[in-house]
Amino acid sequence: MAEQTTSEVPRYITGPEGLRSEEMILNMGPQHPSTHGVLRLVLTLDGETVVNCTPVIGYLHRGIEKILENRSYMAGIRYMDNSDYLSPMLNETAYVGAVEQLMGLEPPRRAQYIRLLTNELQRIASHLVAIGTYGLDLGAFTPVLYAFRDREGIMDLFEALGGSRFNVNYLRVGGVLHDFPKGWLDQCHKWLDQFEQHSLPELEALITGNEIFDARTQGVGYIDPKQAIAHGITGPILRASGVSFDLRADRPYMAYREVAVNVQTRPEGDAFARYRVRMNEMYESVRLCRVALDKMPGGPIATRTPIALRPPRGETYFALESSKGEQGIYLISDGSEYPYRAKIRGPSFVNLQIMPELLRGHKMADVVAILGSIDIVLGEVDR
Amino acid sequence: MDLVPRLSTPLAPPSLHAFDRDHVETLVGELTTRLPELVGQPASVTRMNGGLVGLTVPPEQLVAAVTFLRDTLGFDMLTCVSGVDMGDHLDSIYHLRSLSNNWVLQVRVSLPAEAPQVASLVGLYPAANWLEREEYDLVGITYLGHPDLRRIMLDDDFQGHPLLKSFRSTPHVVHDRATTQVPPRQALAGEHQQNLETVVGKRLGQGDEERLHPGTPTFGNMAIFARTGQGVIAPEEGDGASGGTGSRQGSGS
Repeated sequence: MAEQTTSEVPRYITGPEGLRSEEMILNMGPQHPSTHGVLRLVLTLDGETVVNCTPVIGYLHRGIEKILENRSYMAGIRYMDNSDYLSPMLNETAYVGAVEQLMGLEPPRRAQYIRLLTNELQRIASHLVAIGTYGLDLGAFTPVLYAFRDREGIMDLFEALGGSRFNVNYLRVGGVLHDFPKGWLDQCHKWLDQFEQHSLPELEALITGNEIFDARTQGVGYIDPKQAIAHGITGPILRASGVSFDLRADRPYMAYREVAVNVQTRPEGDAFARYRVRMNEMYESVRLCRVALDKMPGGPIATRTPIALRPPRGETYFALESSKGEQGIYLISDGSEYPYRAKIRGPSFVNLQIMPELLRGHKMADVVAILGSIDIVLGEVDR
Repeated sequence: MDLVPRLSTPLAPPSLHAFDRDHVETLVGELTTRLPELVGQPASVTRMNGGLVGLTVPPEQLVAAVTFLRDTLGFDMLTCVSGVDMGDHLDSIYHLRSLSNNWVLQVRVSLPAEAPQVASLVGLYPAANWLEREEYDLVGITYLGHPDLRRIMLDDDFQGHPLLKSFRSTPHVVHDRATTQVPPRQALAGEHQQNLETVVGKRLGQGDEERLHPGTPTFGNMAIFARTGQGVIAPEEGDGASGGTGSRQGSGS
């Protein structure tokens, strides 16, 4: 949340015939519809061209890591929802998985498959928002309506399952909170059929092949694979640069050890490739949901775990593939009821870092196109 | 153009490579045999749950060790930097990931609590830039050689580092009288509330200056104009050090 410092003194550029032009500093945000939250970008412009960009973050900092230190392990799960508020299920799974890894606890198979199912539904929901609002950023208003309509179905499923649409608070250390209510599986099947047969093709027809969309995304915001790895970028952005890295396949956790994942990659590395990877991952997630529903084992949904958990002394790092990339939790336990330190490694925070390098040399109009393709959630950037 | 993914080839079964004991032991073997000659003392390697390997390095050898890890063992991604207040000392903990060999390594550096300083890794991994800035902001570890070490989450004039165990997150003094017990004249004038706000605001360590609302547009930069003298009237002497707080707002408005 720091102000600009020394490097931003405007330079004067002297052209032919002694004409002078001046670099301009443009402040974008923190209240701006295209920054997807409260992100502030301070752009240095030379005419229409972006010379430099300084992201200023921290407007949404709530100190979740400090809050987690003051909550017992079971009570802290709820605060993970607020980190990346577009994919709460995935955050909860990360926190719960870290505690389980620390304790050496293996949840029942049914719980693992329920987690896989809800995680993939959540991934679809998050990608729907990413793609819908990306269309909105580029001037297409309709896709966001279609995307949010489809996401409503997932929200209804979550509401029936956990009692809440967004901050579900559904996962528990050692399992999940509730089993499926009556008719839930049928509703889920119905939604998946409807989504795959009607909604996804509609969304494809709206966006893919649209000339304006192609012109504004293809060749824009290219990320080199080596650059992406050095910047710690993970998730759809890394895969859109041709690097086949997906924690679900490379370091499988929970039920992914039994369910194979088709890693979606694209070689181009531009904004269009990122859009394409997200679309393909939705198809893949639908397939994974079906696999989970088919293989859904019986048995208990949770181990018997005390509410006042006291994991043994020690530390652990657990990472899973969130909708935006690697969601990692570094947890230290001192043997008490409260975590000694809980560090959240948010993928949006790390992915956003490459913004200045991506923007340099692009036109001002591409700023929104590039920012939207990175798909950040400010709740996770600031935590 | 076939954009929709198809399952053309049968999928290979998921790899349990990551949790393969032999695979992890290969890394442990590499570390114990090759690192001591570089660091100058036997490497302390630990094995943790989930195929995670831990390594402790003296602070002055951090850059040499991580360069070795990156160039020889293929740890090409810096995933996470965490600072921890361990009571008598601070720890800076790095999680490195090798995409080619599928390893995760945790490198720990212990720093004295009085002057927590360690060399920055920005030269090796550009990802370290914001990750280290965050730990500087919240834990107070100074990363030497960092190109842009300033607060990232909190305000520039924030005092203290919230993730230290010594940080008081609640105010020391809270007015113990209930609102109804405040004299009516004071309550009507809002004096009581103002007092309370001042106490809380100061005890939280947020500086003495009234802060601008985060949404207040500070177009351009007051600090730049103060330095270059262009655009606006420069603030008075002794006022211009902190940028962006040129126009002050009254409290409680």
